[in-house]
Amino acid sequence: MKADRTVVLASLLCKTYQISDVKVEALKDVNLNVRESQFTAISGPSGSGKTTLLNIIGSIDKPTSGKIDVFGNDLNAKNEDFLASFRCHNLGFVFQSYNLVSTLTVAENIAFPMEWVETPEDRIKKRIEELLEIVDLSQRRDHFPFQLSGGEQQRVALARALANNPPLLLADEPTGNLDPKTGEKIIQILRKLKDEGKTIIVATHDNQILALADQKFYLEDGKLANLNE
Amino acid sequence: MSETSFPIKDLTRRKFQTTLIVTTLTLCVASTVFLLLLADRVGFGISSTVEGRTTVGFSAVFSSFILIIGILTFVIGGVIVSFIAFVMMSQRVRDIGLMKAIGCPNDLIFAHFTTELLIVTLSSGVLGVVLGIAATFASNSLFNGSGFQLAQQSINLWLVLLVFAFFLILMLAFGIKPILDTTKLEPAKAISPTYHIGLVNELRFKVISKSGFSMKVAVRNLFRHRSATIRIILCLATVFVLVTIAVGGGIIADQTSKSWIEEAIGKNMVLIANQEMCNQYQMLLSKFYKENESMAFNYTQQKYLIPGSLTNASYLGNITGISVDARLITQADVTVLPGIAFDQSTGEPAYVGSLKHCESIIIGVQPGKMLNNWFLEGTSLEANTTTAVIGDSMAQEMFSEPFNQSMIVFNKGFQIVGVCIDPLNNGNVTYVPLPVLQDAINEPNQTNIVLVKIDSSANYEQILNQIRTEVNKFNSNFNSNLDVLELNGVLDKSLSFLDSIWSTVMFLPLFSIVAALLCSADYVMLVTNEQRQEFGVLRAVGANPRGIVKIISGQSLIILLLCYAVGITVGIIVTWQFLIPEPLVTISTVAEIAGWLLIILAVTLAFNLYPAIKFAKKPIPEILT
Repeated sequence: MKADRTVVLASLLCKTYQISDVKVEALKDVNLNVRESQFTAISGPSGSGKTTLLNIIGSIDKPTSGKIDVFGNDLNAKNEDFLASFRCHNLGFVFQSYNLVSTLTVAENIAFPMEWVETPEDRIKKRIEELLEIVDLSQRRDHFPFQLSGGEQQRVALARALANNPPLLLADEPTGNLDPKTGEKIIQILRKLKDEGKTIIVATHDNQILALADQKFYLEDGKLANLNE
Repeated sequence: MSETSFPIKDLTRRKFQTTLIVTTLTLCVASTVFLLLLADRVGFGISSTVEGRTTVGFSAVFSSFILIIGILTFVIGGVIVSFIAFVMMSQRVRDIGLMKAIGCPNDLIFAHFTTELLIVTLSSGVLGVVLGIAATFASNSLFNGSGFQLAQQSINLWLVLLVFAFFLILMLAFGIKPILDTTKLEPAKAISPTYHIGLVNELRFKVISKSGFSMKVAVRNLFRHRSATIRIILCLATVFVLVTIAVGGGIIADQTSKSWIEEAIGKNMVLIANQEMCNQYQMLLSKFYKENESMAFNYTQQKYLIPGSLTNASYLGNITGISVDARLITQADVTVLPGIAFDQSTGEPAYVGSLKHCESIIIGVQPGKMLNNWFLEGTSLEANTTTAVIGDSMAQEMFSEPFNQSMIVFNKGFQIVGVCIDPLNNGNVTYVPLPVLQDAINEPNQTNIVLVKIDSSANYEQILNQIRTEVNKFNSNFNSNLDVLELNGVLDKSLSFLDSIWSTVMFLPLFSIVAALLCSADYVMLVTNEQRQEFGVLRAVGANPRGIVKIISGQSLIILLLCYAVGITVGIIVTWQFLIPEPLVTISTVAEIAGWLLIILAVTLAFNLYPAIKFAKKPIPEILT
C-alpha cells in the first residue's frame, strides 16, 4: 500500500565541481519528489550525475545551490553530527564499488552500522543471521571481502545497507559491475524489499530494475527528466 | 614508457604520499645532521668549558653521555628512515604485482621502482643535509648567549658525509627489500590484500565490547593489519627506548652526579681553620667549577695547627646537634710505584703502571668518624694502616691499575684501597689515616682543619652562631686566628655548575623527541591514508568526524602506550645498567622522569590528533575517491 508521505523533495538542485580551470556542472536545476514506499529508478549515461544526486540525497555531499529535504529535514541546514546520525537511522547506502571495509569479515561489515548505534549484541547477532539469509551468504559470514566474488560483495553491501532497517535505501548501480546472472540475485532482493514497502531509489542502467520502478527518471548532462510524464 | 618517466609520473601522481615521505625523510636526515653537528659543537663547547675544571670522573660521564646522545640520535634517525622507506615501497607491492600480471619482466619492474626509490632517497638526502646545516648555523645565536662559543668551530663536513652515506644505504637497503621480495612472488599473491596489508583471518584477541565501538574498531584494525602494526611498534618502541634513555638517563645522571658532589662536600658543613687555611681550602674546593692557579702554600705551618682542646667539652663539645671531624691537610710529593698483576688467562705475573712523581693534596682523616661520604670504588680506609683512598683524577692520570699499585708519601708506602670522586683539588687528592699521616710528618696529635656538620634537624643559624661564639672564645683564650667558613656556598656553586652543564647536554635529546613526534605524526598520516576508504564508508553509514578521530586516536593510543611501556622499561634498564655507575634514583627522580615522559606522551598524542582531525573533516565523497 502506498502512502502519501513525501520522503525526498529536491528542488532546483545544482552541483558544480571546479577541476583546475574547468567547471563541471554535475546537476542542473534538478527537481525530484519521492513518496514513501515508492521504488524510484534513475537512469542515464555514465558521468550524467546519478552518483552525485544519490550522494546529495544520502547527505554525504552538499549541493552548490537548491534545496534538499529528506524525511522533512532540510539537509543543507544541518550540521555534520546531525547528518551522521540521520544517515545511521534513516538511510541505507549501496555503493557501485561495494566499499566494504577490507579488514572486516562479512559478518563484521554487516554488524558495524548496528554497533555504531549501540544495538545490543544479541540483537546484532540475530539481525546478522537474518540478513545473511536474505542475501544468501550464511556460509560466507567469516570471509573477508577480497575472498568473495563481485556479486557476493554487492550482496554484503546490500545487507549492510539494510542492517539498521532504514526507511530509505539508496543504491548506486547495484548491478553495474555484475553479470546478468549474478545481478539477478540482487534484483530478487530489491523486488522483495519493494514488496515489503521499503522506499528505494536506485541509479541503474539495468532494464530489470527499471521494470520494477514506480517512477523512472532519466538524467543526462545534469538535467533530470521524468519518464512517467 | 622509459625507465625514468614511469618513476617520475608515479611519484608526481601520488602527490600526497610523495610529499609526506619526502618531508619525513628530509626532516629525519636534517634533524640527524643538525643534532650530530650540534652534539659535536656542544660537546666541544662543554669540553672547553670543563677543561681544567671538574674531576676526570665527571668529564668521563659528560663525554660518555654526549657520545651516547650522538649514537642515539643516529639510531633514531636510522630507525625512522628505514621504516619510512619500507612503508613507501610496501605501498607499491600491489602495483608491482599488477605489472607482473600484465607481463612486465622482473628486471624492468626492479629498474622502475629502484629508480623511484633513488629519486626520493637522493632528493630527501640532499634536502635534509642542506636543511640540517642551515639549522645548525641558525642555532649558533641561541648558544652564543649561553656561554659556549660554538661559532668558533666550523661545520664537521666528514660528519655530514657520514650521515648522508648512512641514510642513503639504509633507505636503499630497506626500500629495495619489499621490491625484491615482491618480484619473487606470483602476481596473484602480490595483488592480494593478504600479502599487501598482512591480513589474518582469525582474531584470537577478543575485544571487550564495553570498551566502545571506536576502540573495538581501532583494536580490530591493528590486529588485522598485523604486519604493519608490528613494524610501527618496533619503530616507535625503539624511538621511545632511546628517548627514555636520553630523558631518564639525563635526569638520573644529573641527580646522581649532583649527589656525588653533595656527598663529597657534605651538606650543612662548616670549616673551622686558620683564616688563610679557610681561604686555601675554599680555593681547593672551587677548582671544581672555576679555574684557579695553585699558589705555594705551607699547610703545616705552626700557626695553622689547631689545638685539640677546640673539640672538647669547653668549646665545640658543649654544642648539641653537631658532629666534628678533625683533619690534617698538607701537600706532598707522591711517588707512584708500578705494581704486579697476574694475567687472568695465563696466570703469569706482569708489571702494571710505571714509576711516576706528582704533587698531591694529602689529607689525614679518622676512618669511621668522617662526616662526608664519597662515590667510592674499592673499600674505605682502615684506621692505623698504611692504606690510601685517592681522587679519581689522580687515579686516572698517575695510575694504570691503582688497586695493584702503591704510592710513597713522606717516605711511607701506602696501598691504594679506594678511588673516590671528590671535587677537592679536582680529584688530585689522597686520603690516608690521620695517625699515620701525623706520624709521617712528625706532628703527633695535630690537626689543621676541623669540619663540623650541623644536624639537619637542628636550627642551622642558631647552631652556626653558637659555633662562631665558641670559636671566638677559643681565639681569645688561645690567641689564635681561627675562622668559621660555611661550605654550603661552595656546594651550591658546584651544584649549579653541574646544573648548567646538564641543562645544555639535556638540550640535545629534546631534538630527538621532536624527531620522534614527527615520525609518529607521519605514521598517523600514512595509516589514515591507507585506511581512507574504510573511514569513508564508516562516515557514509553514520559515523561522524569525531567517531573517525576516536578510531584513529584509539589506534595511536594503543600503539603509543605499548611502545611507551616497552620503551620505558628497556630504557630504564639500559640507563641503570650502562649509563652511569650506581645511579641515584629517588622518588623525586622517578616523579620528574615520569612527568617528562607523560608530557612527551601527551604532546605525541596531540601531534597525532592533528592529522586525524584534518582527515576526518574532509567531505565523504573526497575520502571515498
